[in-house]
Amino acid sequence: MSPQPDFSSVPRPSRVPRWERLAVAAGLLALVAAGVLAWRTREEARVAGARLAEVRREVEAASARLRTLEARRRAGLPALPAADAPPASIVADVASLLPADARLEGLSIDYADGGSLELRVVARDAAAWDRLLERLEQDPRLGDVEPGPETREGEVRSLVRARWVGGAP
Amino acid sequence: MALLGTRLYLAFDASAVTSAAVSGGLGGLRVRGFARVPLGPGALEPSAVGPNLLQGDEVRAAVRRAAVGMDGDRVTVVLPDGVARVVLVDLPDGAEPQDYVRYRLAASLPWPATEAVVDALPAGPGRVVGAAVRRSTVAEYEQAVIAAGLGVDRVHLAPLVALEGLMRSGTRDALHAVLGDVALCLATFRGGLPVGLRSRRRDPSTVEASWLREEAARAAALAGDGAGSLPLVLSGREASRLRRELGAETAGRGLQGPGEWPDAVEAAWLGGLVS
Repeated sequence: MSPQPDFSSVPRPSRVPRWERLAVAAGLLALVAAGVLAWRTREEARVAGARLAEVRREVEAASARLRTLEARRRAGLPALPAADAPPASIVADVASLLPADARLEGLSIDYADGGSLELRVVARDAAAWDRLLERLEQDPRLGDVEPGPETREGEVRSLVRARWVGGAP
Repeated sequence: MALLGTRLYLAFDASAVTSAAVSGGLGGLRVRGFARVPLGPGALEPSAVGPNLLQGDEVRAAVRRAAVGMDGDRVTVVLPDGVARVVLVDLPDGAEPQDYVRYRLAASLPWPATEAVVDALPAGPGRVVGAAVRRSTVAEYEQAVIAAGLGVDRVHLAPLVALEGLMRSGTRDALHAVLGDVALCLATFRGGLPVGLRSRRRDPSTVEASWLREEAARAAALAGDGAGSLPLVLSGREASRLRRELGAETAGRGLQGPGEWPDAVEAAWLGGLVS
């Protein structure tokens, strides 16, 4: 029995009213949209879950590091070994060693290599360069200080390699 | 706003071909255009057996004229009272309505059951109004429409369209006489649903009103459940005249087409469609 009786002499193809076709199409669209939204939400939840796990791992690592530092402090050891010294702290400490007529143009820190440093330095003249090297070599926070090739065109430019040992000056 | 599109209804009866462009919107169905093209006597004689379109050229011309200027890309053909066997049946559990109606009507059809086009209209829980029309009879009407350059989308029956409207509107308890040109359908309604149904050829004599009163009483008695008498309500062709003859206190007014077109008022099928 059709929704409305039909006494046609020959069966005809389905005559679904236009509004019903539109309703079905709209329903399908809504279904697809809901599916896409659900998939996106699930993907976002998965990414957020992964990020949360990563942050938890970082928190645990930071906590472990904090516990290590506390233990070192209680044992009277330098608080910041090379592997734990923050870049800003190293930069500030290195900058404090510079004489007035020398400047630091660049500093790279390789924590993977136990805190090795590369300092690009410029000194106003040879005397300033010598004073700078002396200060670097004498500072207990630095070890293995190796001056690189120099260029002397009025001022002295050079690359100095060293190792950050840390601890008090 | 024709949100749901416009459908053209072409209804046939002995006296005329009528057309109505009906559009669907949020407020329900609305008649946007109506035309009635009279037919000469004998041009069309609704009958369950044998040819109906006795003067095919005249009927086809009337179809063309009725469709002029009408919107509607889909045509529903409305067959007149008198071409179908109509029955109200209670369905056994699990029965497929069309099959069961075919089974119930098969023995009483005046043509082989294999030639019957059968369909059914839901009429409450477990009950349908079933109808059977001879396939060749349907084809006659369809061909008249196709010959006028229109495509047939659906074929319906005038009494079923009217009954559908009465059910949809939740009509009060009454005995409804839905009149076509040559036949009428007597439907007893209780609780908004038909509980009895009869089809009869009309009596063209001058005493039709009294004949109708007797038929109505018989139909009410056959569908009676001891709940008392029911008012008679008339719809369709010449309903106004018969109401006058019977007296307004005896016969109430039933389905009516839209009053914007005087000829549409007595089109019970159209009244049922938009009710």
